[in-house]
Amino acid sequence: MLTFVTRRLLLAVPVLLGVVFVVMLTIDLLPGDAVTLMLGEHATRDAVANLRAHLGLDKPFLVRYLDYVGQLLRGDLGRSFQQNRPVAAELSDAWPATLELTIAALLIAAVVGIVAGIASAVWPNSLFDGVARLFSLFGLSMPIFWTGLVFIVIFSLWLHWLPVGGTGSLTHLILPAVTLALPSVAMIARMTRSAVLDVLREDYVRTARAKGVGEVWVLGRHALRNAFIPILTLLGLQSGQLMGGAVLTETVFAWPGLGRLMVKAIFARDYVLLQGAVLVFALAFVVINLIVDLSYGLLDPRISRQG
Amino acid sequence: MRTSRLLAGLLVLGFAALLVPSVDAQKRGGTLTIVRPTDPVSLDPNLETTAPGAWVYFNMLEGLLTLDEKMQVKPALATSYEIMSPTKVRFKLRSGVKFHDGTPFNAEAVKFTFDRALKGTPPARWASLAGSLSHAEVVDNLTVDVVTREPYGPILRTLAMYCMGIVSPTAVGKMGPDFSRAPVGTGPFKFVEWKTNTHVIIERNPDYWGDKALVDRVVFKVVPEEGARMIALQTGDADMVLFPSPAQLPALRKDAKFSVHETTGIRVVFAGLHAGMPPLDDVRVRQALLHAVDRKAILDNIMEGSAGPALGVLAPGVFGYKDMQLDRLYPFDRARAKALLAQAGFTPGPDGIMQKGGQRLSLSWLSQRGRYPKDGEITEAIQAMFKDVGVEAKVQFLEWGTVFSQLRGNPLNHHMFMLGWVTSNADADYSLYALFHSKQVPPAGWNTSRYANPRVDTLVEQARRSLNQTEREKLYGEVQDILAKEMVWIPVYTTKEIVVSRAGVKGFTMHPVEYNLALWKTWLQ
Repeated sequence: MLTFVTRRLLLAVPVLLGVVFVVMLTIDLLPGDAVTLMLGEHATRDAVANLRAHLGLDKPFLVRYLDYVGQLLRGDLGRSFQQNRPVAAELSDAWPATLELTIAALLIAAVVGIVAGIASAVWPNSLFDGVARLFSLFGLSMPIFWTGLVFIVIFSLWLHWLPVGGTGSLTHLILPAVTLALPSVAMIARMTRSAVLDVLREDYVRTARAKGVGEVWVLGRHALRNAFIPILTLLGLQSGQLMGGAVLTETVFAWPGLGRLMVKAIFARDYVLLQGAVLVFALAFVVINLIVDLSYGLLDPRISRQG
Repeated sequence: MRTSRLLAGLLVLGFAALLVPSVDAQKRGGTLTIVRPTDPVSLDPNLETTAPGAWVYFNMLEGLLTLDEKMQVKPALATSYEIMSPTKVRFKLRSGVKFHDGTPFNAEAVKFTFDRALKGTPPARWASLAGSLSHAEVVDNLTVDVVTREPYGPILRTLAMYCMGIVSPTAVGKMGPDFSRAPVGTGPFKFVEWKTNTHVIIERNPDYWGDKALVDRVVFKVVPEEGARMIALQTGDADMVLFPSPAQLPALRKDAKFSVHETTGIRVVFAGLHAGMPPLDDVRVRQALLHAVDRKAILDNIMEGSAGPALGVLAPGVFGYKDMQLDRLYPFDRARAKALLAQAGFTPGPDGIMQKGGQRLSLSWLSQRGRYPKDGEITEAIQAMFKDVGVEAKVQFLEWGTVFSQLRGNPLNHHMFMLGWVTSNADADYSLYALFHSKQVPPAGWNTSRYANPRVDTLVEQARRSLNQTEREKLYGEVQDILAKEMVWIPVYTTKEIVVSRAGVKGFTMHPVEYNLALWKTWLQ
C-alpha cells in the first residue's frame, strides 16, 4: 500500500515537469508578451528592453525552462512578474478559497446526485424520475455564468436571502457552491440511475431477494456497492471538472480563488504565476486520481493494486 | 423650577441648532463601499500605473502638485515653484507634513522617491510617462530642485500626475518589497488591509495636513462580473460602482435612488489610418473616409450616451487642446466622399467597390474586441459605412495582446487599426509628440499612422522645449490646424468617466482623469 502510494507520487514528478513545459511553451507561443502588456501603450523601447532583461525574458526558451525547473527543485516558485510578489504568497492567498468551494460543490453534487439517482432507479419512469431527468438535462445544458446570475437575481436581489458575492460566512458559500455543483449533480444523478438500474437486473440481486433479504439491504449491500465503481470514477473526474468550472463561478460570485488568479496570469502573460497555479491544479489531479484508485480497492477487493 | 430652566436651556439650544444651516450639512463617519472589476496589481506606483491600483493609492499618496477637476495644476505637497532654468524648477515644500508612519516629509523624501523610481532596476512603470524628468536635488530641508535632462515644457503636469506620489523613505527601507502591498504616504487616507482578490481597506488619516477625509473608511471590493456589480448597488452591498454597465445608465439616471456622476475623460478612441500605405497616402482618400463615417450615429446607437464626441485628436481637458472643427470640415456626406475618391482617380467597379487601374479599394483593418468600450462594434459599423461609398474593409479581429505587438512593431502591414489614447500627463506634448512626430514611428514612439510633416515636427519639438505655457498653447494650436487638414485618424469618441452611487453618497466629483478618484470630500447621508 505504502509503496504503491510512494510510487504513484514519484510518477507524478515527470507529469508535473511535463505540465510545466507545456504551460511555458503555450505562453511562449501566445502572441503578445508580458513586458509590453505590463508597461502599457506608453512604454519607451529602452524601458521595454530593460524590464525584459530584468525578468530574464530575453533568454532563449529552453534556458528559461531549465532555470525555472532548477528554481522549482530548490523549492522556489519564483516571483510574479506583474506584482513582484512571491508566487507562493499569491497561491496561499487563493487556494483555500478554491478548495472550500470545490469541496462544498463536490459534497452537494455527490449527495444530491447519488440520492436522486438511486430514487430514479428504484422507481424508474415514475413522476420523480421524470422530474429528475428533466432537471438533469437543464443542469447539464445551462452555462454556469448564466445560472449564477439568475441565482443572484432571485436570492440576492428579489428575496434578499443571500449576499451577492464575496466570502466571509457560510451564507456566502451557498450560491457559488450550488451553481458550481449543478452540472455535476445532473451528471452524477444520471450515472447513478443507470448504474443502479443495471445492477438491480443482475442475478445476485434476484438471488438476494429470493433469499428473502429486505429491499433496503438488497439496495445498500448488494446493489449500491457494485454500482459504486463507475460512480466513483465519475466523482473523481467531476472534481477535476469542478476545479475548472470554478474559474467561471469565481468570476460571477467574486470568489477570490485560484481560477481568477490563473485568468489574471494568462492575460498578463505572467508565466511564473500561471505555472504556480497550474502546478497546484495538476497536483490536486494527481492526488484525486490516487484517492479514487485507492478507494476502488476498498470497495471491491477483487481489484488488485499490484498493477 | 429646575425643569423649566432645563426646558428653557433646551429651547435656546434648539434655536441655536436652527440657526446652523442643516440642509445637506456634511456628515462625518461611516464606511464607503466601492465595487470595481479587478484587484490592484500593486499599491506602489512604481509597479502599477493602471486604474485598479491607482484608484486606491491616489487617496494615500500625494505628489508635489495635483490636477483639480478643471484640469488646472494646483499645489499639493509643494506650496510654490519657481523656474530656475529651462531644465530646473525649484519647489518650496509644505512644512509640518508627516507621513502615515509619523516620519517627517521633506526634500530628502522627494529626492528618495524620484531616485527609487527612475534609477531603480528596473525603473518604475511610470518612468516612460515622465518624459525628460531626471532627478531631484535637495536645496534645504523644505526646498527641492526638480531637474530634467533637456528643456521640458510638460514638467509641471508631469509632476501633477496621479502616480507621482511621494513615499516615506523610512517605510520603504523597513518594508522592502512588502511596501507595494501597504504603501505609506502623506495623503488623506492611510492603508489598513489588502485581502487579495477580495478587498482593500483604507481609513481616514487623522493627522492629515489639509481638510480631513469625511468618511471613516473606504472598502474597495472586487466584483468581476458586471451584472453582479450592478446588483450589489441595488441590494445595498455597495455604495458606489466603478465601471457601471452602460446599458443600465439611462434607467439609473432617471432613478432618484441613485446618482450618476460623469464627466468627459481624456481618452480619445479612433480608427487610425496608415498614411504611409497606398492608397491611404493620398490625403483625398483619407478625407473621403472621414466623410463616409456617420460619427453621430455611432455615438447615439452604439455608445448610447456613455461617451462624448471626439472633437479632435485631443480631449478637451488636455492642455493645448483645440477644437479641430471636425463636424464642419468633415460632415457625414456620402456624395462628398465619392467625389473625393473620384478626384483621387477611383471609379466604381463591377462589384460596387471603387477601383483604380484594376486595383480594388480594399483596406486591411487590424482590430480587437473589448480593449476599449465597443471597439469591435464600432469597427463593424465603420466597415458597413465604408461599403456604402464603395470602400471595402477587410477586418481581422485578434486578441489585444496580439494586436498590441503588431501595432508596437515596424512595419505595420495593415491600412487601419483601432486605438484609444490617453494623454496621461494631460499635456498635449504627450500625444502630439509621440503620435505625430515623424521620428516617433514604432517601436520608438506611437506614430502608428506613419505621419510625416516637417512643419509639425518643428512645432512639436519647439513646444516641448519651451517652458512658456502661452507660447506652447499657440504652437499646439497650429499643429492641430495642420492635422485637421491632413487627417490620419477617424476620431470616434472621447471617453466619459462614469461612476454610479447610491443617492446618499454626497460630495463626490468625477475627475476627467479616471485614476484621480478623490474620495476625501465624499460623505454619506
